[in-house]
Amino acid sequence: MFHPKVIFRIIGMLLFLEAAFLSSSVAVALYYGENVVPALLYSIAAMVGVGALLVCKCRNAGRDVSRKDGYIVVTITWIIFSLFGALPYMLSGAIPGFTDAYFETMSGFTTTGATILNDIEAMPKSLLFWRAMTHWVGGLGIVFFTVAVFPIFGLGDIHLFAAESVGPMRAKLHPRISVTARWILTIYLGLTVIAAVSFFFAGMGWFDSVCHSMATVSTGGFSTKQESIAGFHSPLIEYVTALFMFLGGVNLSLQYMFIFKLRPKELIRDTEFRVYVTIILCFTVAIFFGLFFTTGLGVEESFRSSLFQVVSVQTTTGYATANYVLWKPILWLMLCALMFIGACSGSTSGAMKCTRITILCKVMMNEFKRIVHPNAVIPVRMAGKVVPVGVQSAILAYTVIYIFMLVCGIVVNMGFGIDFLSSFGLSVSFVGNVGPALGNYGPMDSLAALPAGVKWFSAFQMLVGRLEFFAVLLLLTPIFWKKR
Amino acid sequence: MRIVIVGAGAVGTHLAKMLSAENENVVLLDENEEKIGRMESLFDLQAVVGDPTKISSLKAAGADDADLFVAVTPDESRNITSCILAHYLGAKKTVARIDNYEYLMPKHKEHFVSLGIDSLIYPEQLAAEEIATNMKFSWMRQMLEFGGGSLVMIGVKVRSNAQIINIPFKELSRDIPYHVVALQRGDETIIPRGNDVIMPDDLVCFMTTYDQISYIRSITGKDEFSEVRNVIIMGGSRIAVRTTKMMPENIKVKIIESDLKRCHKLLELVDDRVMVINGDARDPELLRSEGIDDTDVFIALGDSSETNILACLAAKRAGVFRSVSEIENIDYISMAESLDIGSVINKKKLAASTIFQMMLKTDVASVKCLTFIEAVVVEFPVNRECYITRRAVKDLGLPDGANIGGLIRGGKGMKVTGNTMIQVGDHVIFFCLEHVLKKLEKYFR
Repeated sequence: MFHPKVIFRIIGMLLFLEAAFLSSSVAVALYYGENVVPALLYSIAAMVGVGALLVCKCRNAGRDVSRKDGYIVVTITWIIFSLFGALPYMLSGAIPGFTDAYFETMSGFTTTGATILNDIEAMPKSLLFWRAMTHWVGGLGIVFFTVAVFPIFGLGDIHLFAAESVGPMRAKLHPRISVTARWILTIYLGLTVIAAVSFFFAGMGWFDSVCHSMATVSTGGFSTKQESIAGFHSPLIEYVTALFMFLGGVNLSLQYMFIFKLRPKELIRDTEFRVYVTIILCFTVAIFFGLFFTTGLGVEESFRSSLFQVVSVQTTTGYATANYVLWKPILWLMLCALMFIGACSGSTSGAMKCTRITILCKVMMNEFKRIVHPNAVIPVRMAGKVVPVGVQSAILAYTVIYIFMLVCGIVVNMGFGIDFLSSFGLSVSFVGNVGPALGNYGPMDSLAALPAGVKWFSAFQMLVGRLEFFAVLLLLTPIFWKKR
Repeated sequence: MRIVIVGAGAVGTHLAKMLSAENENVVLLDENEEKIGRMESLFDLQAVVGDPTKISSLKAAGADDADLFVAVTPDESRNITSCILAHYLGAKKTVARIDNYEYLMPKHKEHFVSLGIDSLIYPEQLAAEEIATNMKFSWMRQMLEFGGGSLVMIGVKVRSNAQIINIPFKELSRDIPYHVVALQRGDETIIPRGNDVIMPDDLVCFMTTYDQISYIRSITGKDEFSEVRNVIIMGGSRIAVRTTKMMPENIKVKIIESDLKRCHKLLELVDDRVMVINGDARDPELLRSEGIDDTDVFIALGDSSETNILACLAAKRAGVFRSVSEIENIDYISMAESLDIGSVINKKKLAASTIFQMMLKTDVASVKCLTFIEAVVVEFPVNRECYITRRAVKDLGLPDGANIGGLIRGGKGMKVTGNTMIQVGDHVIFFCLEHVLKKLEKYFR
C-alpha cells in the first residue's frame, strides 16, 4: 500500500528541516561578511517554497506510514536533499556545474568525503561550513535526525527508522523509537562538541575545529584544507583526529551503554568491537613495519602515518596525512581491504561493517567443520548469542549485492576510459563511503577530472552504499510495485 | 503425616509410591484422570483429579491441612503458583520443582520463603552435578560429600584385581583410613560384619576423608583409569544442558540429539565448547564418524530408559570404557548393574532425597540417595544431649540396616569404632536402608 500524499507531506516537512540546517550557514556567511548570503537565502527560499507547497497540497493526508512508504520516503529524501543541498554551491558560483555540485552534496550527505574541488582554501567559509554540515546530518541519517528531534511522523516512525538504518542486528535502547533516537543523538552531539573543543586545544582555529569535528565524528572526510589533515602539519592534531574517527566508528548504542549505563563490560564483551579493535591494531602494526622499512620515515612518523591512514580508511572517513598511493603496492592494497571491511554496525561509518565480516568468516569456517562432522548442527555465535539462519542468509545476500555493485562500478568506470586500478579503487571507495581511492585518484588528487557519467554513477553508488543497498534497490524491483 | 503431591509424572508417582509404602497419608493431584486413576487401585493412596492452580481443587485434595505439599509437575510456573496457593490455604511445608538455575541462588531463597515456598527441587540440576562429579572421578560409581567435603562416601565396583578382596573385615588392620558401610552383591545389600569378605564384582561403599580418595583408588585397583577429555551425550534433554554447564572446562562435549528443532534450541542453551550433532546415537556408523574411539565417557540421557541402556551397551561395544545412563525405571537399575552399564542417574531418587529431608521432624543437614542401593546416607547434627550421646556406639542398639559411616567433629572427618562416644556438636553420618530412616529419629531426641 502506498500513500503518495503522506510521502510528499513528509518530504515537504523534511525540506523545512534542511532549510533550518542551511540557515546556520547564513549565520557563518554574515559573521565573515561573505558575499554568498543572497545565494544561500535563495536556496533557503527554494527549500521552504517547495516544502510549503508539498505540505499544503497534502495537508489532509493521514499520519499512517506503511512499511513500503518508509522505503520510498527514505530513498527519495536522500535524493531530494542532495538536489536542494547543491543549490548553494551552484547559485554562489563556487561550483558552477550541476553534476559537480550534486556529486559534492551527495558525497557530503553519504559521508563519503570525496571532493571535486581543486582549491578548497579559496571557497567561502560559509560553504565549507555547509559541506561539513551535510556530513554531520548524513552521518546519523537524515530521517534519523528527524525522528530524534521532532516526532512528526506519528505511528510511521518505526518503518522510516527501519528503512534507513538496516544493521544486521539492532538492539533498541528504549521501548520507544524516538527516545532511542534521542539518546543516540545525544551521544553524537556530545562527541561532536568534545571533538571540536579537542581540536581547538590541539591548535586548530575555531572555524576549522567546528568543521572538522562535524566531518570527523560523522566519519565523513571533508576538510577545510586542500591537503586534508596533512595541511595542519601537527602530529597532535593527527592523533586527536584518529581518536575521534575511531570513536565515530564504534557502535553508538554501545557508547551509550558505556557512558550512561556504566557497563564497560558490555563493550569489552562485544564481539564486533573486539574485531574492530583487533583489525585496527593488526593493520597498523603491519603497515608501520612496511613504512619503516620501505621509506625513510622515523619510528614515530611511520607509526603515526600508519595509524592515521588505517583508522581513516577503516572508519570510512577518508582523511589523509600521507599520499598512500605512493607507498609500496602491498601497503595500499591493505588499506583497500580496510575500505571493504569498514567499522562497527550502528556507527556512522560505511562499507561491509565488522559484524557482517565476522559472521561471514564464521559461516565460512562452519562449512569446513561441516565436512568433518556432517551431522553436526553448528551455530554462528556473536557475543554468546546464536545468529539466526535468516540473518546469516541476509548477510550473504548483502555481500553478493555489495560485490555486484563493486563490479558494476568497475565496469562503468572502465567504460568511460579510466584505467583498471583507478576504476577498482573508485568503486570500492564509493560503495563503502570512504572517499579517497587508488591509482590516479588517491587522497591528494581531486576528482574534478572524472567524466560526468562516472560522477553520476558514483553518486548512485554512494547513495546505495549509505542506505545499505536494500532500501534503494528495493524500489527498482518489480515485486515492490505490485499491488498485492 | 498428610502429604499432597501435585503432578503424577515420573517424579510424582515415584514419591507417591514410596511415601505410601512408608504408611504416610498420600494424596495425588493431577488434571489427567488417566494418569492417576490406576494409581489409586495399585497403591494405598487417594487420587484427586483437578487443576493444581485452582483453589477449589487444592481444597478438594486437602492442601489446607497438609503437612507437606509437593508440586512436581513439569511446568515450574504451575508448581510455584500451586505452592503459593497451598501455603495460603494452610499447608505447613511446601516444595516446588523448578527448572531455572537462577531460582536456586541463595540470595533469592528468602523471597521464595516469603512467597510460601519452603524448598525448591531441581532434579535436573542435581543429576547434572552428579554426572559432573563422575567425570572428575570416573573410576567410581558415585560420590557423596558431607560436611562440605570433610567426609566422602564413595561407591566403587570392585574387580578381581583389587587388593582388598577375599580378606575378612576382622583381619583388616584397625587403622585403615576408611570404613566400609555396605556391599551390594547382586540384589543383596550387606551391612558387613567381621566375618564378611569383599568379593569380585561387589559394589562397595567406602566412607573416608577427601584426602584418602587416591588411597581408595589404589586399593580397589582403579589406577589405570585415565582422565576424562572427550564426552558424548546422547539426547539433548534438560539434564544434558545442565551437565554441560557443570562439566569441568577442559572436557569436550558432543551432544547427539535426533530432533532437529531441539538441536537448534540447544545451540541457544549451550556454549561454544559443546558441539551439537543431529542424529541417532544408537547408530554405530554415526558414533564412529563422531570419534567414539577417542571418547572417554558415553552418557545416555534420552527419554526412555530402555533406549539409554541399549545405547550404552552399543557404545561400550564400540570401545568406550565408561558409560553413564539415565534410568528412570527403578526396576531396571539392578538389571543395568548386571549389564555393567556403569553409573546410573535417576531423577526420581534425587528428588526423593529432598522430600525425605522435608519429612523428618528432626533437623538433618542433608539426605542423599544412593542410586545403586535402596539406601540413603544422612547427615544428622547432634544439637543437644540425647540418647545417642549417652552410650558408646556399640551399646546403642542401632536397628538392622543402619550403620554409622563416620562423624565430623570440629570440621574434621573421623572414623567411628565401637567404643567411640558421640558428643554434642558432632555431625553423624548414617548409612541406612530407606525404610529404616524414620527409626533413626528417636536416637536424636
